[in-house]
Amino acid sequence: MPAEGSSAGAPLCIESLVVEYGARRAVDHLSLTVGPGEIYGLLGSNGAGKSSTLKAVVGLLRPARGRVTVFGTDPQLDGVSAKQQLGYVSETPLLYDALTPREFLEFVASVRRLPAAEATARAGTFAAALQVEPEYDRPLGTLSNGTRQKILLIAAFLHSPGLLVLDEPLSNLDPRSVRIIKDLLKAYVADGRRGVLLSTHAMEVAERLCTRVGILDAGVLRGEGTLAELRSAVARGDVSLEEIFLALTREDGAVRAAVRSLGDLR
Amino acid sequence: MSWRIARTLSATLYAEVAFQAIYGLRSGNLLSERTPPSVATAVSRVRQSKILISFLLALVALAVPALLGGPFERIAAPQLPVGLYRASVLAALLVIDLALVWWTGLQVLPTLLGARVQSLLETLPLDPRTLDRTALLTTLRLFDAPIATVMVVTPLVVGLAFGSVWAALAILPGAAMVLLVAVALSLATGRFYVQRVQGSGGGRWATGLRWFYLVLWTLPAFALFGFVTFSPQFFTELDTLYVNGQIVALTTLLATFPFPLAELPLYTPGQLAPEVSALPILALAAVYLLLMVPLALWMRAAPRALARDVPAAALTAGGFVPTLRGRSLVLAVLEKDLRTASRTPGFAFLLLLPILDAVAIGLWSFLGQPTPGNVLTVGAAAVGSSALLATFFAPAFFAIEVFGFAYTRSLPLPREDLLTGKIALVLAIYLASSSIVLGLTAAAIPTVYVVTSFAFFALAELPAILAAALLEFTILFRRAATTGLPITSLYAGAGWVLAVSIPGLFLAGAPLVSFEYLRNGAHLGFGLLPVMAAIALLELAVVAPAALKVLGRGSL
Repeated sequence: MPAEGSSAGAPLCIESLVVEYGARRAVDHLSLTVGPGEIYGLLGSNGAGKSSTLKAVVGLLRPARGRVTVFGTDPQLDGVSAKQQLGYVSETPLLYDALTPREFLEFVASVRRLPAAEATARAGTFAAALQVEPEYDRPLGTLSNGTRQKILLIAAFLHSPGLLVLDEPLSNLDPRSVRIIKDLLKAYVADGRRGVLLSTHAMEVAERLCTRVGILDAGVLRGEGTLAELRSAVARGDVSLEEIFLALTREDGAVRAAVRSLGDLR
Repeated sequence: MSWRIARTLSATLYAEVAFQAIYGLRSGNLLSERTPPSVATAVSRVRQSKILISFLLALVALAVPALLGGPFERIAAPQLPVGLYRASVLAALLVIDLALVWWTGLQVLPTLLGARVQSLLETLPLDPRTLDRTALLTTLRLFDAPIATVMVVTPLVVGLAFGSVWAALAILPGAAMVLLVAVALSLATGRFYVQRVQGSGGGRWATGLRWFYLVLWTLPAFALFGFVTFSPQFFTELDTLYVNGQIVALTTLLATFPFPLAELPLYTPGQLAPEVSALPILALAAVYLLLMVPLALWMRAAPRALARDVPAAALTAGGFVPTLRGRSLVLAVLEKDLRTASRTPGFAFLLLLPILDAVAIGLWSFLGQPTPGNVLTVGAAAVGSSALLATFFAPAFFAIEVFGFAYTRSLPLPREDLLTGKIALVLAIYLASSSIVLGLTAAAIPTVYVVTSFAFFALAELPAILAAALLEFTILFRRAATTGLPITSLYAGAGWVLAVSIPGLFLAGAPLVSFEYLRNGAHLGFGLLPVMAAIALLELAVVAPAALKVLGRGSL
């Protein structure tokens, strides 16, 4: 059954999350909340811990410490219930290469116990909007990354989940599809019950789409809030999110030095 | 110069192939937070699997001295001249080597292609010749241990069996040629895989074509299995051909590859020639040697061409029909696994081998007009081997999950439903095999007593199959939950396949062995079926609660 706003609590609550890969700590005591009607953007450099955070949220990784709850349910304690309430788009669209999008969506709809008519209608509408109909019966392994990402997005939206967890969801998409997904996400949370957690490198996406932004650096949350709140945090008015990001991660000086050194190569 | 660069590059690419074979990250597997990936571990585990394959090849070769020179020579084919018999044994060895290396190639090539190492290479400023050589060497590295084993062990055992260095040297061209043919067949069938199957989508025609190719892929494994199983009958048939003077059939057999090459040691000094003139045999051997030249030339560029092949994607027929069919959760898992397996040679082999085994043993035996007295023996052998094969390969069905595992784990897929889906696959294979044998039994001896008894025999074993599958999958689920998904492909975890399969084989085999043991002692035949069923049910009663308790509830 669709999980639309079916549980009590915030769509997502992360408390003091620690994720480790062997001796390496990828996420260090991260706490954040995605409230109802909110699109929360997680910004960070490569290796900052964004994807690890998202994987811990959807139950792919077991946190070393801390707690994650999706509408009050801990994916580590009741994975099935928590996962019923979320839709996930992974960073790299690696799927079942041997299946066609139709077969893949049938599998996802069956696992999510969606009525066939409802799944058909929703998938069909998305497929038409994102122009993937000609690819519907070709194996996923033969499709472009962009098309596979679109299929993943369709699968994520298929059951109208209360929480969408999107790892760089727009990175492989064409401008038309980017626009559609951005508008769709805004409309999706407009009912004030659902939430979205997305990670991105694109400052423009975070600036225009997200209601709140968290800046992650080496697994640590350096700053969090609306754009206005972040501007006041760095005590500089009317600066771009990019400048805020560099200031909070203390990378602005390093960036200037790198640009200077590259300039010498011209 | 070009070979030197190619050798250096192929070492790097091979490490990447091994890494992807073990961790499957490019197939969508999840990076484990507990066991960080290591190239050294990957290379070492792939090496272990290669050693296991090489051990099998050596084991087959070591049977040769036992078959030659001893009393077996006169038992297997009493009328056949000794020289001809010995040449047949060597030909059989070469055929088994060919089939085993070809089969290995079919299991390994999807991993090589899935690692997508060639696309990384193509962007480098290298000339086409170096690129061809790098791709060739990378491919050959996958076969290095089996190739070395065949090239060393074959002359060694022939030299020992014939007591002659010349005989040992004379088998070398044959050994080299079967290896060349085996690797070429792997590459050629690999191209079929990419061109005809990898890109084929849904629809009846595409599905039919896919299953046709699956049967084709299973042939080398099946030939290998069949040859080992039916070798006594092979020598008996050869004996009959000779005694009845069926010259055309005998000459055709002797001229077929690799027979003339297997006869070469017999013409070395001090050996008993196989009563066939040396000249035509040497001429045929020379012809085969010449035919290897274009094959070797083709091989130079074939691996790169294979890696660059583009799957012929299926087009959506007619207008876009968005209909999605609903499935129960267990059926959805089963269907996904069947679809994945039917498009992946390694898994297709696992599905089809027990079924083809039942067809072959059934046809072979029941077409020979069995009596009600021996039908049980034949049926038990067919069903028994299907049962053991189905449970032996169960870990590999679990490994299907590696495809897109990082995504699957985000789905609300209860562990018990996933387990039920996997077990349903094992049971489906067993029941399909048993039904085939049952059908053949009914056709050969259409009496209600025999058919009913045989059906009861297959059903009596069913709880043991269920118990074996439950035990094996529980071990694998536990491992997945603690240290990450175990990949149990041929070149990634052959050791794991054995470790998990042995307890399963014990459970599946116990009722069959007990039945055979009691039958021989008490001469009761079908009357022992309740005893067999009781043992199988007892196993299930012990294993099921323990397995389900260990498994626990939750998602994967």
